[in-house]
Amino acid sequence: MTRRRVLGVAATGVAAAAALPVLGAFPASAAATTQGSYLNGDPLLHLLRRTTYGTTPALIAEARSLGAAAWLNQQLAPSLINDSTCDGVVARFPNLTSSISQVRADYPAGSWQVMFDLGRATLTRAAWSKRQLFEVMVDFWSNHLNITCPSSDVWESRHRFDADVIRPHALGRFSNMLVASSLHPAMLRYLNNNVSRKESPNENFGRELLELHSVGVDGGYSEADVRTSALVMTGCTVDAATGAFLYSPDWHYTGPVSLLGWSADNATGEAGLSVVLSYLRYLAAHPSTARHIATKLATRFVSDQPSAALIQSLANVYLRNGTLIVPVLRALFASAEFQASVGSKVRRPYEDIIATVRTLGIAPDVTGTPGIEGLYWIASSAGQAPLAWHVVDGYPDVAEAWQSASGVLRRWNAHMQLAAPWWPPTLVRLPPRQLLPALLPATWGGVVDALATRLLGQTLSAADNAVALTFIQKAATDTVVASDSWLGWQLPYLVGFILDLPYHGLR
Amino acid sequence: MTTPPTCDCPEPDARTRGGLSRRAFLRASTAVGALAALSGPLMSTRLAFATAGLPYTGDVLVVISLRGGFDGLSAIVPAGDPAYYAARPNIAVPAAQLLDRGTMFGLHPALAPLLPYWRAGTFGAVHAVGQTDATRSHFSSLEEMERAAPGTSLRTGWLDRTLGVRGGGSTFQAAVLGSTMISQSLSGPTREIAMVDIDSFRLDGDPTINARRAQALQTVYAAAPTNMAAPASTALGALTTTAAIKAGGNVTGNGAVYPTTPLAKALREVSRLIKASAGLQIACVDYDDWDMHIGLGKPAAGGAMNDHLATLAGAMAAFAQDLGSLMSRVTVVTLSEFGRRLAENGSGGTDHGHGNAVLLLGGGVVGGKVHGPWPGLAPAALDSGDLRGQTDYRDVLGEVLQKRCRIDSLSTVFPGFAAAPLGVVRQRP
Repeated sequence: MTRRRVLGVAATGVAAAAALPVLGAFPASAAATTQGSYLNGDPLLHLLRRTTYGTTPALIAEARSLGAAAWLNQQLAPSLINDSTCDGVVARFPNLTSSISQVRADYPAGSWQVMFDLGRATLTRAAWSKRQLFEVMVDFWSNHLNITCPSSDVWESRHRFDADVIRPHALGRFSNMLVASSLHPAMLRYLNNNVSRKESPNENFGRELLELHSVGVDGGYSEADVRTSALVMTGCTVDAATGAFLYSPDWHYTGPVSLLGWSADNATGEAGLSVVLSYLRYLAAHPSTARHIATKLATRFVSDQPSAALIQSLANVYLRNGTLIVPVLRALFASAEFQASVGSKVRRPYEDIIATVRTLGIAPDVTGTPGIEGLYWIASSAGQAPLAWHVVDGYPDVAEAWQSASGVLRRWNAHMQLAAPWWPPTLVRLPPRQLLPALLPATWGGVVDALATRLLGQTLSAADNAVALTFIQKAATDTVVASDSWLGWQLPYLVGFILDLPYHGLR
Repeated sequence: MTTPPTCDCPEPDARTRGGLSRRAFLRASTAVGALAALSGPLMSTRLAFATAGLPYTGDVLVVISLRGGFDGLSAIVPAGDPAYYAARPNIAVPAAQLLDRGTMFGLHPALAPLLPYWRAGTFGAVHAVGQTDATRSHFSSLEEMERAAPGTSLRTGWLDRTLGVRGGGSTFQAAVLGSTMISQSLSGPTREIAMVDIDSFRLDGDPTINARRAQALQTVYAAAPTNMAAPASTALGALTTTAAIKAGGNVTGNGAVYPTTPLAKALREVSRLIKASAGLQIACVDYDDWDMHIGLGKPAAGGAMNDHLATLAGAMAAFAQDLGSLMSRVTVVTLSEFGRRLAENGSGGTDHGHGNAVLLLGGGVVGGKVHGPWPGLAPAALDSGDLRGQTDYRDVLGEVLQKRCRIDSLSTVFPGFAAAPLGVVRQRP
C-alpha cells in the first residue's frame, strides 16, 4: 500500500488548505512498514509485551535482572508472588468476597453494583497486579467462558464465577475449569440450563458447551448431538431459594446417550450427575477441544493466524498433560513461531488503555475508587470494558475486528486524558516532566529519544523521529532550554503523540 | 477493512490534509461567525465528495442487524395457520391483538409506530426467509449470512463487495453507527467508517496543537501496515466532515422525536449523515439481544419480545419521519442470523430455528403486504421443527441492490447465486 493511497482514504476538507500555518514540511515516512519492524526485536521485551498488560521501567529492569526464563517461571507460579499492594486496592470492592446469599441480603431489590465492582477490580488487577501473566490468563478464560458482565441474570453470582471458576483454574487443569463452569449458577443461568428439563430441554447451554467451551464449531458434532448435549445436562439447575447450584434428579433425562464417541447408560436420575461429570471430562480431553484451545491460545499470544503445525503441537502437549494449561503455555513461549512473532499482535482498546496507565506510572486513587471507575468508563467508551462482551463468545482477539475510526480517536483521546493529566483526576500521576531524565538531554533529538525510550522501551525509527520533531517544530540538533513550553504545558501533547504511534498499538 | 485497491482519486498535496482543515474550520467558526462556520465547511465537504468519483445516485441502504436470532413468527404473525397457535400455547400473539390482520398474517401490536407506513405502502415484510446452509449456531450463521458466499472460499462480506463493484466513494461511503466494531458484512478491501456517534468524533485538547498532531499522525500512519493505517487515516480524514456536520446542528425533520434507545440514537446519526450529503451509500446499525430462550413474554409492555419490537419500530418510524421525502432514496432492511423454532420451549421462550421475517422500510418498498411463498407450519412443511427458509435472503437483498442501489450484476456480490426477485421494491428511476 502506498502512502498516497492511505491519504486518499482521508479525503476531506479541500477549502481549508489556505489556513496552513507556516511550519516545517512533514518528512515522508519510509515505504510500507511491517508491524514487526516497528518494534525492537529484543526477545525479553517481546515476551513482556505478550505476557503482561504492558511494560513499565521497573518491570523491564526486574525481568532483565532475573532473565526471561526465571521471570516466566515466577509468573507461572503466581501464588508465590507477593501482590499485597494490589490486593489492598482490590479490597476497596468488599462486595467481591460476598457469597450469593450475602449479596441477596445486601441488595434485596437486586443491583448491578457487584458486577460493576467485578469489572473495576478486574481492571485494577490488570493495571497494577504483579501477577501479570495470571491476569492475562484470567482475561483469556473469562472470554473463553464468557458471561457478559454486567447482565441481569447473573447480578448476584457473576463475581463468584470469577472467584470460584476462573481464578482457581486459570493456570490449572482445563478439565476442572470446564466442570466448575458447567455446574456454576452464573453459567447455568446465563445460558438457561437452569430451566432445562427432560420434558422440555433448553438447548442454549448444551450447544454453547460444544461450540464455544469445548470442541469448537468444527468439532464434528451434529444438530442431533446438540440435542443430546442438552439432554445430558438436564437436571443441572439453580436453587431459586438460595441461588446455589442444584442437581435435580427429577429433571434429568434418562436413557442411553452418546455423542462424539462418548456414551453412557444414564439409567437413573439419581446417577445423572455422575453422567454429567463423565461427559464434561470427556469433552475437556477431546482432541477437538485440544485444537480449539490451542488455536485460541496461539491467537492470543502469537498471531492472528497461527500455523497449523503450532496448533497441533500445542494440542498434543495439552492432551499429553491431561488438560493442564501451564505446560501448553511453556511450549507456546518456547516455540520458534512465538519468538518470530514480534509485533504481529495489535493491542485491543482495553489493552492499549491499561498499557498507557502502566507506562505512564499512574497509580490508583489514594483512597476510594473514583479514578478506577473513570478508567473503566474510558475502556467502555473505547469499546472494551473488561468482561463486558455482549454476547456468548467473548471479545474477538484479532486486529480485523477492531478497525474502528471512533475506536482509534477514543484511544488517542485516552492517551491525552491520562498524560495531560486531565481525567480521571484522582489517579496518582507523576508530573509529565518526570518522564524525562532529571538531567535533560542537550538536544531535542535527545528529548524525543529519551521520552520514547521511557514510554515504549525503545526509540522511534529515524523517519518517525523526524515527524515527532516536526510536530514540536524543533530540529534534532536544537539545544534544549529548560523553560521551553514543550517541556512545560505542551509536554503532554508530545507524550500523547508518542503513545498514539503504531509502536504502542502493538503487543 | 483496508484501503481501496483501485481508487486513485485526485487529491491535493498531502500536506494540506488532516487536522489542518479542522483548524481552519475552528478558526472560521470563531472569527467569521456562524454563517461562515456553517456554509464554509459544508461546502468544502461536498467538494471533497465530488472529487471522489461519480456521485452515487442510488438508495442509501440501511441494514439493521437483529443479532441473536429474531423471532419473525412473533413479529409478522401467521395467525391464519392453526399450527402457530397449537405450537405456542403460552407465547402466541392472540389474533385479536394483531394489527391489520389479513387471511394469513398480522403485525405484532408493538409494531404500531410503523403501521402508518404499512398502510402507506412503504413498510413491508418478506416471510420464511433463510440461508442455504441452515446452521443453528449464532456465530457460524452470522458469519455465513454476512459473508453471503456459501460454497466459496471468499472471506469478504457482501456489503464490502457491493461497494467494490461500485468503486470510488467518500470516507463516509459506508458507516457503522452506534458501535466501535465493524460488521463482518463490511469486511474486505473497501473502506468504511465505524463511529459511535458524530458529536464525540473529535480529538480532545488544544485545537492548534491537535491540528499539527493530526497531520503528524497522518504522516506516520500513511506508512503503517493496512490494519493500523486504515482506521487511523479514516479517523483523521473524517474529522473535518464531522466538525461540519456538528456545526450544522442536530434538528430533526418534520417534528420527529427519536426515542432514547441506542438504536434510535444510531439511526438518528445515520439520518444526519444522509441529510449532510456526506456521501453515505451503506449504513450498518446493530440491535442485538433477540436470543430469547426464556420468557419471550406477552404482547404487552414488559414482555421481552414486545418491548424489543417497540424499540425497533419506534426507532425506524422516527427515522422515516425525520427524513421525510428523503426516504425516497433510502431503503432499510432488517436481517437476523436465523429465526426461532416454531414450538415454544419449556421456559416460555424459543430455541434456535431457521426461517425468518425480513422487514423493509423505504420510499421504494412495495409495502403493506407480506412477500414470499409461505411454506406453512404443518409438521411435514417444517425443517427440523422450524419454519422453512423458503426464500433465500439473497433474493431479497439482490432485488434491493439491483432495483434501488445501482448494482447491475450480482455475480460479484453473491457469487454463483441467481437471485429471483419477489417484487419487494420498485425499480428506481
